[in-house]
Amino acid sequence: MNQILLVLKREYVTRVKKKSFLLATLLTPLVLPALIFVIAYFATRDKEERDEQILVLDESGYFTDVFDQSGYVFENITGSLEEAKASYAEKGAFGLLYIPEIDLSDPTVRGFEGFQLYSKSNAGFRTLERFEGAIRGRIEDLKLERSGLDPVVIANLQARVSLETFNLTETGEAKASNSGVSFGVGYATGFLIYMFIFVYGSQIMQSVLDEKSSRIVEVIVSSVRPFQLMMGKVLGVGAVGFTQLLIWIVLIATLSTVGVGILAGGSDAMMEAASQQMPDTEMSLTEQQELAQDIRSMVASIPVVKILLSFLFYFMGAYLLYGALYAAIGASVDSLQDAQQFMFPIILPILAAIMSMFFVLEDPNSGLAVTLSMIPFTSPIIMMARIPFGVPDWQLALSMLFLIGGFVGTIWIAGRIYRIGILMYGVKVNWMTMKKWFTMKV
Amino acid sequence: MNILEAKGITKNYAQHTALKNVSIDIPKQSIFGLLGPNGAGKTTLIRIINQIIMCDAGEIRINGELLSPKHVKVIGYLPEERGLYKKMKVGEQLMYLAQLKGMKSAEARKRIKHWLEKLELSAWATKKVEDLSKGMAQKIQFIATVMHEPELLILDEPFSGFDPVNANLIKDEIFELRDKGATVIFSTHRMESVEQLCDHIALINHAEKILDGSKKDIKLSHRMNQYEVIFKGDLPERPGAFQVLSREISELGMNKVIVEANDKTASPNDILETLISDIELHSFSEVIPSINDIFINIVKGGQS
Repeated sequence: MNQILLVLKREYVTRVKKKSFLLATLLTPLVLPALIFVIAYFATRDKEERDEQILVLDESGYFTDVFDQSGYVFENITGSLEEAKASYAEKGAFGLLYIPEIDLSDPTVRGFEGFQLYSKSNAGFRTLERFEGAIRGRIEDLKLERSGLDPVVIANLQARVSLETFNLTETGEAKASNSGVSFGVGYATGFLIYMFIFVYGSQIMQSVLDEKSSRIVEVIVSSVRPFQLMMGKVLGVGAVGFTQLLIWIVLIATLSTVGVGILAGGSDAMMEAASQQMPDTEMSLTEQQELAQDIRSMVASIPVVKILLSFLFYFMGAYLLYGALYAAIGASVDSLQDAQQFMFPIILPILAAIMSMFFVLEDPNSGLAVTLSMIPFTSPIIMMARIPFGVPDWQLALSMLFLIGGFVGTIWIAGRIYRIGILMYGVKVNWMTMKKWFTMKV
Repeated sequence: MNILEAKGITKNYAQHTALKNVSIDIPKQSIFGLLGPNGAGKTTLIRIINQIIMCDAGEIRINGELLSPKHVKVIGYLPEERGLYKKMKVGEQLMYLAQLKGMKSAEARKRIKHWLEKLELSAWATKKVEDLSKGMAQKIQFIATVMHEPELLILDEPFSGFDPVNANLIKDEIFELRDKGATVIFSTHRMESVEQLCDHIALINHAEKILDGSKKDIKLSHRMNQYEVIFKGDLPERPGAFQVLSREISELGMNKVIVEANDKTASPNDILETLISDIELHSFSEVIPSINDIFINIVKGGQS
């Protein structure tokens, strides 16, 4: 045990002392949101500052002053389409929007065609949607006007409905549930586990490979059992990952509290601006408060403590299960290139889990979801996706039991391959040799 | 008193037998040569002694006790394939290896300092191993092997890769450690390189021990009754006394022959008597077989 601790300590200390660890740990929670912010900022700024000219040739006469999209300057022109095309090139405008003569005399006609947009480069998907929306809106208004309906009556006809969802427990107690929050939490935790398996699994492999290729391993195993060395390594690298995770949680919690505080200060102005931009979804102040209340109850609707504890369990279980396999591969090969061929079968179940996660999130109690949340190779990701939606305790217990069995099993198998592999150089390794090492007595 | 006694050690792999019923006794404070060609089974035996692998049959006793994990502290092992953590600092690395051998950190710090000073590496304690020259790294590996003052030092091909200066330095250190009470096992396939170092020897070939004992006894029992004779004049055939194995011209332009007594019980004096009457004798000495010669003789004899 003491030997495992010594190995663990070395793995931990050498990694945590590295500058790259410090940078990755401190910068990731800062850089990721900053990156998203910067991209969003440039995306919006780009749009606003590009005052490109669009010529509008309106033969119907209905569309004067209909277009006022930001980012574009509209100019109405007259003449034939051919002339317009010529002047478009002359003026160096970005686009030319052609609106043909339209006939609104028959109220049953619903399809209108012949609208054309010419541009130098392809207009974006959003731009097209906005143009279409503006044209459609104008035609609808015109048709309403002609049918003699009062626009106020029309506005009053619109209704907003929200469906509140509850989980009914066996005791008849109703708990407010929220699929959106559950989806988000399930996805995030599952994905986090997936990421950590990859990042820290390959670190274990690299570390084993380094010891093997630097030829220090024989000195080490003359004082430490190979199994102790492997476990110390897996646990040491895992402790590094855990440290990183904890720092991230603390950093993100602090940052988001500070961030929310700043946002709350400026929220009045934001709300005002928002309600101006979206006249359709006008919200009174009381409605805003209700929304805030809703968000709070949504968070309360998911079993936070259960999620946190299960996350810790599945996080460690998945790490041990896959970490041991990565260690076995590192011990078997002589170089990183040789390792590639063995990586695929390991990655496969993780990929399968990540891909099925979307189906699981859509239907958390389907047969597929339950099955995958029992198999140790996929359960950490799939079960974490299911838990926020509510999982029967017996299923959770069974899945955890299987996972414990799973990582004890892979550690045992990996240990047997590891003890032989680390002393083998220049052997052409394939699955058969690994199987032979597994059955070999030391 | 033997520090190590191995009895009937056998190790089988799927395709071949690495060791077949090998028994070896290693006397305390000896320098013991474990000799044999590549692939003979030397490294397997060493790994079994280091408890890196287990033997299929047989037992090993250290100071009379069955080999167990606690003996890790008693042994210092320098493997043939050796290395260090490249990214780790010299001092930290030695500390880690010392702790793995069960040393307390205060004691380890003292010994590391002592050894780094002794081998003139003090200035490098805080440098990373990758910044060291190959010769310096070899010294560090040697320190890692001996710093916990093991009773039994096992050096597998110790001089392969060492430059001559370092090799001599290490030889001197080994003698010093032996004088202080340590026992040293040398393993090598280059028999001539350790012949003068060892006082005890075991020869291993094709997984079997073919010979062991003190170097002196082995050489005595493998005398071939051969003599090198340097002389002037013509040496007549004397079938009754000896036969001439080879003839050449010596450095000083005299005749030089190797003769072998036909009567195995004949003493050198008998041969000398015969020779003196025939030639002008300048030099007469017994041919002492090298370990390499003995090995080749035994292997050839075994085959025929």
